[in-house]
Amino acid sequence: MTTVTTREAAAPAAPPPAPSPPRSRRGGEVTPVARGVWPLMVPALVVTVTLVVLPVLYTVWLSVSDLRRDGTNAGFVGLDNFARMAQSPEFWNSVRVTLVLFVGCLLVETVLGIALGYLMSIDVPGRKLFQGLMLIPAITASVAVALVWMLIYDPTLGAANQLLTAVGLDPVVWLGDPDIALWSIALVDVWQWTPFMALIIAAGIRSLPAEPFEAASIDGASGWRKALHVGLPLLTPVISVAMLLRTVDLVRFFDTVYIMTQGGPVNSTNTLNVYGYRAAFIDQQTSYAAALQLSLLLLVVVIAGAFTLWRRRRSLD
Amino acid sequence: MTDTIRTSPRRLVQVYALYVLAALVFFGPVLFMLWSAFRRNVDITGSIFALATPLTLDNFTNLFDRFVFYYYIRNSFIVAGGSTLLGLALGVPAAYVIVRRKVASIGFVMLLARMAPGVLFVLPLFVLSVEIGAPSNNGLNFALLVTAHLIITLPLCIWLLVPFFEEIPVSLEEAAMLEGCTVWQRFRHVVLPLALPGLSVAVTLSFIFSWNYFLFALALANADTLPLPVIAFNFIGQGASDYGGLMAASTLISLPALLLTIFAQRWLVRGLTGGAVK
Repeated sequence: MTTVTTREAAAPAAPPPAPSPPRSRRGGEVTPVARGVWPLMVPALVVTVTLVVLPVLYTVWLSVSDLRRDGTNAGFVGLDNFARMAQSPEFWNSVRVTLVLFVGCLLVETVLGIALGYLMSIDVPGRKLFQGLMLIPAITASVAVALVWMLIYDPTLGAANQLLTAVGLDPVVWLGDPDIALWSIALVDVWQWTPFMALIIAAGIRSLPAEPFEAASIDGASGWRKALHVGLPLLTPVISVAMLLRTVDLVRFFDTVYIMTQGGPVNSTNTLNVYGYRAAFIDQQTSYAAALQLSLLLLVVVIAGAFTLWRRRRSLD
Repeated sequence: MTDTIRTSPRRLVQVYALYVLAALVFFGPVLFMLWSAFRRNVDITGSIFALATPLTLDNFTNLFDRFVFYYYIRNSFIVAGGSTLLGLALGVPAAYVIVRRKVASIGFVMLLARMAPGVLFVLPLFVLSVEIGAPSNNGLNFALLVTAHLIITLPLCIWLLVPFFEEIPVSLEEAAMLEGCTVWQRFRHVVLPLALPGLSVAVTLSFIFSWNYFLFALALANADTLPLPVIAFNFIGQGASDYGGLMAASTLISLPALLLTIFAQRWLVRGLTGGAVK
């Protein structure tokens, strides 16, 4: 919808898209227009290599050598840092924390996101305004988000405990209790990112074709059955894109955790990313931190690869 | 717009009731932040149900008088503005090439840069910063911060611009080619003007993402180059119970994002989801 209006507004001079030529993505000839455009890419390529590839290579070198605190490097040590990592209970605790946060948040955000997304897709006056309001948590700086939730979670004066007390429940030590802190942080993430998920899903719902639903109505299917057996399968591609976007962010969860708990209490919120940062900048074990961060990168590469493959297959279909 | 279903008044009421509920849950904490920024500390830590407490600007004046906040705002502008301009200058032509040549593999590298954990880049950058003496040299430090933030803005710009370039018909460029335009002339005079809406989206979102970004400055900035998010974080230790000050600082940090959500909402919605859903 937006797309159509935008294009018209932006390109008044464009000729009407007459019988559009079928654009094949697979094995198509390079159009004449596309010849000789490479030089435009060079600056971005150089910068990307310098900023992304070189640091990764340097980190690989760090991870197999021993950079001491005084800045001297004791040279190649093989996989010692990785072996130490594999034997460290702290590392496995971080893996566990990362996975629990990731799975927990993703599930809740998906289910709530579908529900909220359906609400956002309904055509009523004020829908756009509502969407904008819902977008605010996602676009607010993580520092501001973390600070306001620290105020809400304050054990004695915070809004959360005031609300609990008001309905007759016992106050909770939101961030100070090792059994609870992880869930308190998960709640912040769910709050911040469910609307974002819903926004993507709402866009998906609004672009669904009407025919399958009409056919199901003729067959006498109820509203719920239509949603479950017709709507949900059609929405799967959109929902999975939203889930993958969230996955990538959840695996490298950092800001909120670092600001609110710095990984504590007793490492109960020590995600891999926070653990890697603390190893580098607080414990100053640079080489060990490099090994940690590479293991995290591996996780992200696998996910990004799956994402790209999946998207490419979809655009070929 | 295609199939407007007539909504009955009853359904309308249901939808709006749910709107209010969702807004309370998801916008409530932000509203709480804005409200607290204008309340006295004694009221913030008092009952949340005391809605009629007096409002004050003291929290903000404190920030500027006692903690010279102008300075940190300026720093944030330098870092976010610089990295946005650079990201755009590099990203716009790159996105164009990616679309015209249908480069999937480079798209993957960009995607990787967008997805890679920031911590991964901080360590090499920190070693580099010590090598070149950036911690004690403000100019170098800013340069390093802007460069570091390019890791955020460049992939974001490309990621956002690709769908816009995909919409520009090849036929226009073919016409320009027949008239003997070079690649650069075609790009500059035919493609770029048509991609202006995309540019505004990229500028907006790059600036906000860079402005909001926390990690690089946390590790790399020195006392003179600290941007807003890090100074707000440093506050937590200093004035543990000065929630008014913290909320005022949070409000200042959130201001660009809030303003742009109000004025450029349509673009933000499209920009945030554009890469994933067309």
